[in-house]
Amino acid sequence: MSVRLSWISVAFVGALACAGGAGGANAASAPGFGVPYVPARDGEVIQEVPARTEPAVQRMHVLRAAWSSAPQDMSAALGLAEAYVDYGREIGDAHYAGYAEAVIAPWVHHVAPPASALVLQATILQFRHQFADARDFLRAAFKADPRNAQAWITLATLDMVQGDYVAAGKDCAQVTSFAGLALGLACGGSLRSYIGHAEQSQALLHQAAASLGGASAPTRAWLSGLMAETAERLGDWSAVESRYRDALLATPQDNFLLVAYADFLLDRGRPQEVLTLLKGHEQSDTAFLRIVLAQAAVHSADLANSVWIMAARFDALAQRGSDYFGREQSRFALQLQHDPARALDLALQNWRVQRAPWDARVLLEAALAARQPAAAAPALQFLEQTHLQDPVIEPLAQQLRTQINNGVHL
Amino acid sequence: MRRASAPRANAPRAAYVLLGVLGCYAAGAHSVSDAYLTLVADKSGVLHGQWDIALRDLDFAIDLDKDGQGHLTWGEVRRNRERIEDYAYRFLKFDAGSRNHCVITPLKQMIDQHADGAYAALMFDVTCAGAASITLNYNLFFAIDPSHRAIFVGRKGDDVATAVLAPQNSTIVLP
Repeated sequence: MSVRLSWISVAFVGALACAGGAGGANAASAPGFGVPYVPARDGEVIQEVPARTEPAVQRMHVLRAAWSSAPQDMSAALGLAEAYVDYGREIGDAHYAGYAEAVIAPWVHHVAPPASALVLQATILQFRHQFADARDFLRAAFKADPRNAQAWITLATLDMVQGDYVAAGKDCAQVTSFAGLALGLACGGSLRSYIGHAEQSQALLHQAAASLGGASAPTRAWLSGLMAETAERLGDWSAVESRYRDALLATPQDNFLLVAYADFLLDRGRPQEVLTLLKGHEQSDTAFLRIVLAQAAVHSADLANSVWIMAARFDALAQRGSDYFGREQSRFALQLQHDPARALDLALQNWRVQRAPWDARVLLEAALAARQPAAAAPALQFLEQTHLQDPVIEPLAQQLRTQINNGVHL
Repeated sequence: MRRASAPRANAPRAAYVLLGVLGCYAAGAHSVSDAYLTLVADKSGVLHGQWDIALRDLDFAIDLDKDGQGHLTWGEVRRNRERIEDYAYRFLKFDAGSRNHCVITPLKQMIDQHADGAYAALMFDVTCAGAASITLNYNLFFAIDPSHRAIFVGRKGDDVATAVLAPQNSTIVLP
């Protein structure tokens, strides 16, 4: 089917900011964007790409060759797709989710799709925050295999991210049944950190770590990351720091951990360390946002240019119709564009789809800054129901409740 | 694993999936595959095109970084111009009906910087016989990355038309 285009006014397209977001009033602050040129020297490095000297990249090459020589072999396809997803997550690059999707597409669209392919497709969609679509694929996976451990783990993750803790509790029970006790403990431990039982969470995660003794580096990093987050709930900052450091010792390049640790450092007033930590990770949008926040904190001369680049990246995502970055965009609007009304709008949209502690926090911060305490009501109600402990979020919530009770209309 | 039958729930994969619980930063990878296709029609009906394709995407598809060190140089891109053009133009078709043959003429290849990195900027002209309406069909990267999108902008004088080209929306009729 083809679509017939029609002309529209130039003014509207200006807002679309074609070619790298070159439109907009700030374009002049980054000369060179949207202006093609011929580099002066052959030796000029113009783009960093994954180096084949990296073991993970080598592994993908091997798996890709195996899959290319046997494209009908589902295990070769799944092996390659999983490697893509893992690598994309590690370096913070969503391209690899797309590559994985292409590799498993023949099985996902098969008349009788196997559960393993459906679960991987659900994982990719979850990665893109297409939660409803991810749930559809999980439902199909359970139809094919009701005892699929990976499907239960993925559903538990989805339910926790979306704040359905009752459902997550049931999912964790199934994880224990089908994936084993250690992962069940980790699932339940993770869950308890969101419902006011962070001490229990710590105990369960320790048990999980003991049961998984001798586990691989990514698994150790994952558990250390969960423990760091639980320590954040309790405000035990030295434990948070040592857990993140443990995790990063195991997987030093993990984008997720780097970003979470950077947030911790920003909260603790250590922006200079963020700039050191994230050097070389500018390609990842989530890491780049933390770099820009740190630049703002140290009044860096690069700040204006970085803010422009960050805005252009968000524009590029908006142009293609992706809207899964609400949390980051709200922080960007509030902290770097100083636009609390827009930050609040983005935080509220984000809250409709995800409800992790950071999602609550950006909403509360935006509501306070925008002087619209009532707008935070959905998050305040959620926090009351779930009893989330958090030394940063609780005072924000208290402040908003006081304003609402005092009938503050600013 | 307590049950040997539990498929694919090995620890590293589980770690990946459960990491999302921490707060969904996993989804924050963001950097996605976009290309930018701009066509400007002149008074004689020739379309002047600029097609910006991310070098990271091209490297994945046709392996531009020959020494594998991860630092793509202008020399590596320049020497691969023919391969890049052979690959890319296979996935861009213009059609103005059976009697109105369209020809793409590659002109030059430059570099364009976008917020997420450097792009190869492919400059080309499109000439179609006759004055029938032109249909554009775009399929770059869709087979290897269905999440790839091309942001299309067409200009004729002061008029502008835009579209987002996607696997489900790969053909557009130019106004």
